[in-house]
Amino acid sequence: MSPAGAALKGAVVAYQWTLRPLIGCNCRFYPSCSDYALEALTAHGALRGSWLSTRRILRCNPWHAGGYDPVPPSPRSPSPARPSPTQDAPSLARTSPEI
Amino acid sequence: MDQKRLIAAIAISIGILLTFEVWNKAHNPAPPPAVTTEAPAAGSTAAVPAPVTPSRPGGTPGTDVSAAAPATPAQIITVNNGRVEGRLSARGLTLEHLTLTDYRETIQPNSPLVTLLAPRGSPDGYFAQWGWTAADGRTRVPDNDTDWTVTGGPLSATTPVTLSWDNGQGQVFEAVVSLDTDYMFHVDQRVRNNAAEAITVLPWGRIRREHTPPLAGFYILHEGFIAVQDGRLVEITYADGKKAQTGERRAQGSAWDNDATQGWAGLSDKYWLTALTRADDGVALRSAFRHIVDGTADRWQVDVAPPAAVTVAPGATANLATRLFAGAKEVRLLDRYRDNLHIQNFDKAIDFGWFYFITKPFFYAIDWLFHFTGNFGIAILLFTLALKIAFFPLANKAYKSMSRMRVLAPKMTEVRERYKDEPQKMQAEMMALYKSEKVNPASGCLPILLQIPVFFALYKVLLVTIEMRHAPFFGWIRDLSAPDPTNLFNLFGLFAFTPPTFLHLPAWALIMGITMFMQQRLNPQPPDPIQAKVFAWMPVIFTFMLASFPAGLVIYWSWNNLLSVAQQWYIMRGVAKANPKPPAQGGAVTAKK
Repeated sequence: MSPAGAALKGAVVAYQWTLRPLIGCNCRFYPSCSDYALEALTAHGALRGSWLSTRRILRCNPWHAGGYDPVPPSPRSPSPARPSPTQDAPSLARTSPEI
Repeated sequence: MDQKRLIAAIAISIGILLTFEVWNKAHNPAPPPAVTTEAPAAGSTAAVPAPVTPSRPGGTPGTDVSAAAPATPAQIITVNNGRVEGRLSARGLTLEHLTLTDYRETIQPNSPLVTLLAPRGSPDGYFAQWGWTAADGRTRVPDNDTDWTVTGGPLSATTPVTLSWDNGQGQVFEAVVSLDTDYMFHVDQRVRNNAAEAITVLPWGRIRREHTPPLAGFYILHEGFIAVQDGRLVEITYADGKKAQTGERRAQGSAWDNDATQGWAGLSDKYWLTALTRADDGVALRSAFRHIVDGTADRWQVDVAPPAAVTVAPGATANLATRLFAGAKEVRLLDRYRDNLHIQNFDKAIDFGWFYFITKPFFYAIDWLFHFTGNFGIAILLFTLALKIAFFPLANKAYKSMSRMRVLAPKMTEVRERYKDEPQKMQAEMMALYKSEKVNPASGCLPILLQIPVFFALYKVLLVTIEMRHAPFFGWIRDLSAPDPTNLFNLFGLFAFTPPTFLHLPAWALIMGITMFMQQRLNPQPPDPIQAKVFAWMPVIFTFMLASFPAGLVIYWSWNNLLSVAQQWYIMRGVAKANPKPPAQGGAVTAKK
């Protein structure tokens, strides 16, 4: 993990513990934008992880349906280094045909 | 990438600053010990009236030569333009006293006026001075003990003052000092060389502060050295100014210096500013920020001078025209100086911060409402209401989907029952359900993130602008910029008992805590159970944290919470009307979510 990636992840964790309790969780997605950002930064590094997270936040508005939206798998390591929430939800494919 | 960083930075700074502010308050440095009356500085040349020795070729105005005061009292020029009263000393050409007649120290009507400048040697020594350094090492230049000859005066908006001094070696020094109707001085210093030989001298103007002032100590409020140089804003705190002096800089006593053709440099307090700048557009000036340790006392100096010493041929004249701002950082006044006197970005002396582009318009809006309503507190409440209305469509759009949520309620209950013990999985299933049914109860992260800078900007306006200083609200709030004086622990003044500072729990902080609790009940919970616990404690933590904050901020925060609750209630009511027969269970589900 690059220093930039670590710093960004630190910022996201700080957000989760300070600001999120204050403003509430209003995310329309699963995993939530901040969890998504942590996972994207781990799997794709600082640059692409930030890009993915930014796009996700821009999608997270009332004009988007929201729902289940996992981090795309990393091209370098096909299986994520740590168990991702996507693996915890095998039944999702049944309820949402889009995936 | 940048946007992501920016957003991360905003989020982290808001979170941390709230913590830090409280921490900073607790660790506020005690007011510095009184500076003893200045004795002749050991080691510096003291022969009177000897030339000020330049500290290095080219000369810097940093070296301060003081000497035993001559026996005769110095001639004092009275300064008065209706907004300031003060004294310009003809000895050493020093603006040694300045009182702002429109501002008092406390809200008591008979409290002393705010004194910005005070003479050298007094505990609050803070003054401005204009002078010359002999770069050639031989020209006799005026120093701290030079008695200038005064023509005209007293100094007012209509009457300038001319000071002159003949050094007896063929050079005549002159300074024309004028003052506008507010806080701006203009000083034109000249030297005429009547001798047969050329001289090399350096004219300068300086602001000198003989102590470190008591700081407001807010993490997001800059106090200390401030400058704009060719469009770039430079802010150096007193603490950083000390640290910056290493190596060669230490020898020069300089923490920072820069050559520029536009801008200004000065010392900023929360509400007050002293700053020096060129009077003529485009003149190159070297500005410097210095820290000098004098015994146990810290001395701070901001000076401006041409980048190089000036050689004055026989029969020729050299001059430097500078402006000195010394007064209150009134937004519209600084704007006017920026536009009329071409002082680049002068309004940045007010710490509007990163969100300048929204903070400044917010100020104008609130100020406009203030002139309309006559009460700054009411203006804040009205403006917050307007912001809420502006964001209403976003919130409404999200909650509209709630009507459709009710149809889903049985399915949601089923998911809830099935994954009762696995909150994460329940969350995932719920999201899948929302997606397949094309509904979603949350408004999304983007609208929330867009609101953060907006409310942060409002917070900043309330904290930094002098217009809120000593502005009353209603009842016991007589100064919106000061903490609420009431305290639960003496039953709001029922007992004549002053609890210790950590037990300060004023009425408005309690109101804030209650409204925050109400508002949080309507917010979705974090998925993580530990975070959910933190979430539940937030109103209590904030009640104590905000106790020492300016009352205006606490009132604003309470009002904002209350409006959020009202908005939610209003939307829910609309939803309920649209669906006359929702299942009772569904109502419970949406309320809990």
